[in-house]
Amino acid sequence: MSPIIRRGGDDFTLPSKYLLFILTIVCVGLIVITFNTNIFSGPLNSVAGVFVVPFQKGITAVGTMLKDTTDRLSEITRLIEENEELRAQVDELTISNTNLEQEKYELTELRTLYELDSQYEDYQKTGARIIAKDAGNWYHAFVIDKGSDDGIMPNMNVIAGGGLVGCVTDVGPDWAKVQSIIADNAAVSGMVLSSSDNLIVSGDLELYKQGYLSFSKLVDSADKVRIGDKIVTSNISDKYLPGILIGYISTLDDDANNLTKSGRLSPAVDFEHLNEVLVLLDLKKQAEK
Amino acid sequence: MSFRRLFFNLIFVLVSFILQTTVFRTFDLGGVTPNLLMIFAASTAFIKGDKQGLLAGFFCGLLVDIFFGSYLGFFALIYMYICFVVGKLHDIFYTQNLAVPIFIIGLSDFVFGFICYILMFLFRTKFNIGYYMNTVIIPELVYTTLVAIFYYPIILAFNNSIDERELRSEKKFV
Repeated sequence: MSPIIRRGGDDFTLPSKYLLFILTIVCVGLIVITFNTNIFSGPLNSVAGVFVVPFQKGITAVGTMLKDTTDRLSEITRLIEENEELRAQVDELTISNTNLEQEKYELTELRTLYELDSQYEDYQKTGARIIAKDAGNWYHAFVIDKGSDDGIMPNMNVIAGGGLVGCVTDVGPDWAKVQSIIADNAAVSGMVLSSSDNLIVSGDLELYKQGYLSFSKLVDSADKVRIGDKIVTSNISDKYLPGILIGYISTLDDDANNLTKSGRLSPAVDFEHLNEVLVLLDLKKQAEK
Repeated sequence: MSFRRLFFNLIFVLVSFILQTTVFRTFDLGGVTPNLLMIFAASTAFIKGDKQGLLAGFFCGLLVDIFFGSYLGFFALIYMYICFVVGKLHDIFYTQNLAVPIFIIGLSDFVFGFICYILMFLFRTKFNIGYYMNTVIIPELVYTTLVAIFYYPIILAFNNSIDERELRSEKKFV
């Protein structure tokens, strides 16, 4: 290191409070800009993706493997006990199964009525693996290992295990950020399957720890909605394709205004153990064509 | 700031972020992960002073913003200010003692959690602060502090070795 350069370095001593001031303005500027537009997301996402995503992919794979092995060891003893219980349960279930067989007939009839089956199949899907989850503990966003190179675009719906997980909010070349419906800042327009009444499903950190989502603004003047009814995404949602299962109603209360109802629903997807998801490649507008 | 220091800080930021979003997500306690980025940023601020600290905080926050933030600059701003304040403590305390920095890291994580609660939840009329304290802020604080006990000495050791090297190269020319 030559002395000249060092002296140059010494001269350049911007007091920290000015630096703080400048960076504060930069931050506020960025917040304002990104609040109104999304011009930065493209290039920044690509740069960040190059440095971070490959590592996340590798480490998540190893981490899940380690976790699996440790879980397996600790669960063996528990499984032996559980096995006994389950055997007893199998007998009970065989009996109830026969009852259900009869109800299944009814169900297939209802399904064809709502054309749920065909709708799910019509959508083009692609599988993706979750490689990173939210850095903070407040929201439930995660990153998947497919991006614009695989044809993924913002606002595409993400499902897993037959239920709605969330939608893509941000895309890089080989990664995409998914906002889940259980996040505290997420809201989905839903519909009760049996009565086609619309409602708003919103994530709630407080309820989620108990395993619920909350819903509100259900107009049910005919009083037909019951606990256990299926809630699916509605036709009028701007991002979500219609007819994707969200969950089942578990509590139902009248609001103070006596016009609408609200309550809780249990989600159809097990968000705790989510590793792989399906991204529906159809966007809402195209599907509604 | 030498190239070596820049390089190691960059590596530390990336490693902290990647570990935080992958490994520690798999090994979470009660659904909560430690805030490694806060440990790194606060440690740097504590070891090297306010200027380096606020830069470290800015870039840590920016990385979180790019991947998980709704608006660019939001977390950068929070991280930066916390680290600036922590950096002011650099002149008061010794860095070699383990207890003080660990306490400060815990405190800064608590402040971070509290600011997050206010900006992201209280402003949306979610008033149940006791609940958020018990399920997110306090567990994160405890876990972060535990991890910091092992992480801080590593950061300190790296910083010391870089300091030494810089000092040596300076002496060569005197």
